[in-house]
Amino acid sequence: MLALLDGELHGYALMGRVAELSDGVVRMGPGTLYGTLNRLVDDGLIEETTDLVARDDNERRRYYRLTPGGRAVALSELARLQAMVHRVARHLPGPATT
Amino acid sequence: MTGTAVAAYRAFLRLYPREFRDEYGVDMALLFAHQLRDEPPGRVWARSLVDLARTIPTRHLEAHMKHAPGPGLPLTVTALSVTAVAVAIIGGTDRGVLVVALPVAVLSTLFAVSLWHDTRPVAVPHDTTARWWKYLAGGAGLLIALIVTTTATGELPEGLWLPTMAAFLLAIVLTVIGVVLALAHVAAGRQRNAPG
Repeated sequence: MLALLDGELHGYALMGRVAELSDGVVRMGPGTLYGTLNRLVDDGLIEETTDLVARDDNERRRYYRLTPGGRAVALSELARLQAMVHRVARHLPGPATT
Repeated sequence: MTGTAVAAYRAFLRLYPREFRDEYGVDMALLFAHQLRDEPPGRVWARSLVDLARTIPTRHLEAHMKHAPGPGLPLTVTALSVTAVAVAIIGGTDRGVLVVALPVAVLSTLFAVSLWHDTRPVAVPHDTTARWWKYLAGGAGLLIALIVTTTATGELPEGLWLPTMAAFLLAIVLTVIGVVLALAHVAAGRQRNAPG
């Protein structure tokens, strides 16, 4: 969902964006990607936008974007993760000073 | 070479549930072809095989959980239960028959009851606050009826005083419940319609 914060993407671009955001650590396979998209569509967090915009796309790729509710959830999750990392970082010993 | 690999991948896609395959099969094959175009085939295949092994059972489980269980198994177990009871009754004089039929009858009956319980439709929870008007109308109606009656009859007879007071109390309680539920219903509606 965080990968869709910048706007709509098709499956392959979304896969690339996830890999990019995770510095290559997370590389989704097609089954994982479309299974996740299917669940997010069912939950109303993302929606397909393929037919909403005229496209010059011979391969008829399917595009997805966050719904307003999905965007709110993604931003809230981002804030939660940032707050958690911030809290943990405060309690870790800092770099040794000489 | 790529065409053969994609055809092989398509063959694997047949292992997914039909509904999922119909919806995403073409996109998955296309995505696989794009990966082959941009990455070494060995790496793509290794990742895809792991992905297939992980997601095929998951998608089947999800598809199974989406569909309500049918009456086939409960019917079969019920038939077994009835048969076992019949055998126990008919062959009850034979200890050997009774020793086998009775436990089978008891266990299959319990199992059948449990299966029928699981197949019943899940009740959609009602919004209790949506019933506010029933309480309000009932309470207000009773209150008006009591006021009109007591005004028309004048002083209450000795024996009717207590029931009338109880009816007044009930009318007031119902009216208050109706008002409280109405306020909660309006608040819940505002919360549902709030943007974001």
